[in-house]
Amino acid sequence: MLTDILITTLINASVYAMLATGFSLIFGVARIINLAHTAFYMLAGYFIFSFTTVLGLGLLPAMLLSIALVVVIAVLSYRILIDPMREHEAAVLIITVALAMVFQELMLVFYGGHFRSVPQLVSGYVTVLGVRVSSQYVVTIGALVAILAAVWLVLMKTRLGLAIRATAQDREIANVMGMDVSLISTVTMAIASAQAAAAGALVAPLFILEPRMWLYPLTIVLAIVVLGGIGSLKGSIIASAIIALSETLVTFLLPSGAFLKGAFSLGVMIVVLLIRPEGLFGVSFEGER
Amino acid sequence: MNPRRLYRRFASEVLVLPGRTTVLAVCLVLLILPLFHRHPYTLRVLSLTFIFAIFAASWDLLSGFVGQLSLGHAIFFGVAAYTSALLNLQAGLPPLVTIPAGALVAVLMGLVVGIPCLRLKGQYLSLATMGFPIILTGLVYLFSDLTGGELGVSGLARLGPTRLSEYYIALVLVLGLGLIMWKITDSKVGLVFHAIREDEITARASGINTPLYKLLAFCLSGFFAGISGGLYSHFMRVAGPSTLSVLTSFQPVIWTIFGGVASIYGAIAGTFVLYPLMEFLRVAPELRTLIFAALVVLVLRFMPEGLTPWFIDRVESECPRCKEHNAVTRRTCRVCGAPLGRPSAPGAGPFQPGKGGRVAG
Amino acid sequence: MVTPPEASNLLEVRGLTVCYDTAMLLNNVSLSVGRGELVGLVGPNGAGKTTLLRTVAGLVRWEKQSKQGTRAGNITIAGEVRFDGERIDSLPPHVIARRGLVLCPERRRPFTELTVADNLMAGAYLQKDRRALRETLDMVHQMFPVLKQRARQISGTLSGGEQQMLAIGRALMTRPRLLCVDEPSTGLSPLVKKELFAKISEINRRGITVLLVEQDTALTLSVCARSYVLSHSRIVASGARQDLLADQTVHRSYLGLQSP
Repeated sequence: MLTDILITTLINASVYAMLATGFSLIFGVARIINLAHTAFYMLAGYFIFSFTTVLGLGLLPAMLLSIALVVVIAVLSYRILIDPMREHEAAVLIITVALAMVFQELMLVFYGGHFRSVPQLVSGYVTVLGVRVSSQYVVTIGALVAILAAVWLVLMKTRLGLAIRATAQDREIANVMGMDVSLISTVTMAIASAQAAAAGALVAPLFILEPRMWLYPLTIVLAIVVLGGIGSLKGSIIASAIIALSETLVTFLLPSGAFLKGAFSLGVMIVVLLIRPEGLFGVSFEGER
Repeated sequence: MNPRRLYRRFASEVLVLPGRTTVLAVCLVLLILPLFHRHPYTLRVLSLTFIFAIFAASWDLLSGFVGQLSLGHAIFFGVAAYTSALLNLQAGLPPLVTIPAGALVAVLMGLVVGIPCLRLKGQYLSLATMGFPIILTGLVYLFSDLTGGELGVSGLARLGPTRLSEYYIALVLVLGLGLIMWKITDSKVGLVFHAIREDEITARASGINTPLYKLLAFCLSGFFAGISGGLYSHFMRVAGPSTLSVLTSFQPVIWTIFGGVASIYGAIAGTFVLYPLMEFLRVAPELRTLIFAALVVLVLRFMPEGLTPWFIDRVESECPRCKEHNAVTRRTCRVCGAPLGRPSAPGAGPFQPGKGGRVAG
Repeated sequence: MVTPPEASNLLEVRGLTVCYDTAMLLNNVSLSVGRGELVGLVGPNGAGKTTLLRTVAGLVRWEKQSKQGTRAGNITIAGEVRFDGERIDSLPPHVIARRGLVLCPERRRPFTELTVADNLMAGAYLQKDRRALRETLDMVHQMFPVLKQRARQISGTLSGGEQQMLAIGRALMTRPRLLCVDEPSTGLSPLVKKELFAKISEINRRGITVLLVEQDTALTLSVCARSYVLSHSRIVASGARQDLLADQTVHRSYLGLQSP
């Protein structure tokens, strides 16, 4: 039971961290609340399903191909539908929700509302600290953590990362400093959607697919981003761990906990916000940005 | 006032502006519609439209006017729906009592949500409000003995004896409450709401007790959303967890932004267009949500400010001197007599400096 | 009037007019900045100084494009801006920056949540040559030693004077050919102001052309050999320091200096 709790927490925490950091990135740089973000996660799962079962591809190529496809879809919808509307914040909010609904309905039309599943990448078990754990879990956690670390490195150590962080702070000044902010926003969208798609691809073998699977993670991701402090990557990662742990504990320890896990996580978020209104790691300076 | 003066006043206030004339025409059509067409299905769809229009307008009051963008508006709708349902079933009270009671509980919920939200700003606030209905949904499942869990509470008393009476109850309420909300936003309180949205710190520095006004906005919005929640539960004769779902929270946002934010009538117009459209799309049940979502995306892409501002821009023009609105056909302003230039199309013709220009000081 | 010969002008603005809706912020403004010059642009609040710089840097045009279709008002731009002989009035801001025209904005606007070092590196975004980057950084550090001491501090927590130095340092990191500084002295004490103006002269002596926009007329005229006076959206006077000081009308109505 203890290992179950630990493994579930780790998987959920790393999935949430992947989704939340991407959401946070695109929010910071392009200033859009992209409510379609977790829909990319759902899309990746379905693409893998179709590539493996319909086209008969291997799981690994299917994963890579579906991540690429999701990135293309995300970048196209950003350039065509979202970016031209940037000054109309409210309209962008609705367009992203509607976009998520379009994706959901398309999947419903093509695959129906049945639960689908994807084969596992690796089989067998490994022994970690004397406990038998399914290899698939270990691989998933490892890959998710590796991708998170890579994104972190890109953001903190490279010229592109600096440009992304600068654009998130002040678009206009970044532009004056010679950064092509619209290109940088598009690249950020690509990174963020790739993160969402990778998360979806990696957990697809563990979870069941259904067209509405984006809605619950979306609420949790929003809670995590607020809890960690909007725009803070460190905050998003730590908040993911907190929310994943509280979710898992509620599910495992309380009767009918599965119904309560969302309520409990959001309760945690509201309590933290009451103590720190800008989240755990949010920075707030007096005056304008 | 004699009838002729009354008519002249009416003509100078309403008939001069195509926008207001359209509103009047729509109201009249809706009032006399059942004389010609009383198919129960039509009446049902329209009644639900009216109920949801109140809900959308209440969201606009809080989010459009005060700028407290709420993504969890279902909390007010749902709590009132459940309250009305339980009072009706357990205590046997009639809708005339349970709906106001539900609205009062929603006002209390406005305090519960509003007080923590006083500390939050901007996106933090929107995303935090999203949490409240989800927490309440958890409680609904936890106390499923009382709330019926997944199935909800059903078997409520009907709103009115016939479909037709229900239609008129909902219509009168949407027109009356819409007018009240519009009057609120047009009053001094509305001005304070505007000030808070534009710059809360400055509003506060001007001596406005902004926390009090924000709480007032939460309570007012909760009240109107509560009425629509109560109406909904009695109309559907069931109150279930779907009244608290994320989708229920998003719906008023979609309708209002589609119709045009911060105007009340925009929220109502958006609902009047989108809700029946969604029902009409039942002809293709598989593709219904898909077509709906795609339409919303496309329409907003080309009318980013929403439906009503787009429409008003087509039929009315703003006087450059006194900022009063005029019918687009007029050549001079009806209030100050200033000539009304047609707004030049972007990029059309060379720019002439000095023409009608005001030097910035 | 000591207008330099045209061929050598680095920046040439001709008949620039900018309107937001019906409010005219710039009315047929023409000015030029020669290579290696330090030119001042003074004028009262609301004269259009910042708008002029923002238009030259391409930000107004960018704003016009991004706000198209909103209710934020219609922006009209007319006129011609040449930088080093090339028309730049239709280029986006980042391309203008690449040509070597860099704006050091009003209100400093550091990237508040980044460290001082990251701010400077963000300025050096266009710099691909590592050695040149190192040299520029050394130059900036030498000019503003405080930026080196506070390299790891979050820039939002710097004082006003330090933020201004950071803003200028960040602009210098792009290795500009023309540095446009917008109201650097706002909110600074007289001593810090003086020091800052000395630094701006020093930057100019190092071979960077500077267009300095200011409200503090006396100080500006003391460092700039040539200045323009902008008032009510027009250029109302221009010329060398002595000419402007001698002109009584300009004196009384716009500069507000005490009579000598």
